[in-house]
Amino acid sequence: MILEQLEVTPDELERQTGWVLKPEGLCKDDRCVPLPTGSAADGLVDVTAVAERLGMPLVHDDRHDLWALGPEAGDRVLASAELPPIVLADVEGQAFDLGSLRGEKVLIAAWASW
Amino acid sequence: MALPVWQQLRTELHPQGLEIVTVALDLEVDAARSWIERSGADHPQLVDTAHRLDELLGIVNVPTALWVDENGMIVRPPHTAAVERYDFSKLKTPEGLPDDLDAHIRDMLEQVKRIPRFDADHYVEALRDWVEHGAASEYALTPEEVVQGSASRSPEVAEAAAEFELGQHLHHAGHVESARAHFRAAHRLQPENWTYKRNAWELVSPGIQGPSDFYDGDWLSDIKAAGPEHYYARPDF
Repeated sequence: MILEQLEVTPDELERQTGWVLKPEGLCKDDRCVPLPTGSAADGLVDVTAVAERLGMPLVHDDRHDLWALGPEAGDRVLASAELPPIVLADVEGQAFDLGSLRGEKVLIAAWASW
Repeated sequence: MALPVWQQLRTELHPQGLEIVTVALDLEVDAARSWIERSGADHPQLVDTAHRLDELLGIVNVPTALWVDENGMIVRPPHTAAVERYDFSKLKTPEGLPDDLDAHIRDMLEQVKRIPRFDADHYVEALRDWVEHGAASEYALTPEEVVQGSASRSPEVAEAAAEFELGQHLHHAGHVESARAHFRAAHRLQPENWTYKRNAWELVSPGIQGPSDFYDGDWLSDIKAAGPEHYYARPDF
């Protein structure tokens, strides 16, 4: 996720990464990771602490003062077989939620013009 | 181009409950637009300008597909799906090119011809089998097999995703030069990701993705270094 500052609301963090802030820490599926004391206060979460605890890379562009928080490094890209939430746009800019296809078998085919 | 083949398969298998969604891994929507508009497809055709599918699903090249069942469970993780029956051995360089470009393209075609052939007929049979038999199909994997069959995400691969995200964000904001530094970093961190590389090369060397002042690699040098037999991570279905 792209960040202008190293603090984020729990809602935004959940929307972008799927990790939910709970009293016991950050949780996703059946996994919870405690955060250091004080790293979630006043309605904001300290992104540096999140990155460190979850093994997420945090990279910076000096000139534009922007960060990108990457996915958690670990064993496999898929932590479960459930298709993660994916919303993409068509050429008209209309958003399409792949989750809306429940009830059908779906083949997702990635291609490119190049 | 595989889009018409996906449309044919959709026409055949949609009555049996299969939907197809094509996703263009193009940085620029306009690069994909004419292909999409000409395809005449009646399934969703999306464009992933940020390469979310690379990060979320571990896609590193195209064409790549995955299968998802009625409950939203992946039953076949990302795999090469070159459904277009294309005879690369008949590829020729266009007439009338300058000598150096002609030699470069000749060299590219030699590499393309060494990419192992994908058995599209077998693939389509496997797809039909899954659509008909669902979880009972031998081609539908268990959740454990899907997780284990997905790509590995080392710290370098995770960092490459972050670098590419920053790069594409800056690119779309008009900061083309700043974007290149992050694309270069993504290339260095995950050299096996051809979508990161080819998108960036295409912007500075359209068509042949040749050497440039902006990137260390180019299509021809990189496929020679990797070996054309490794161009697709999973050539066998």
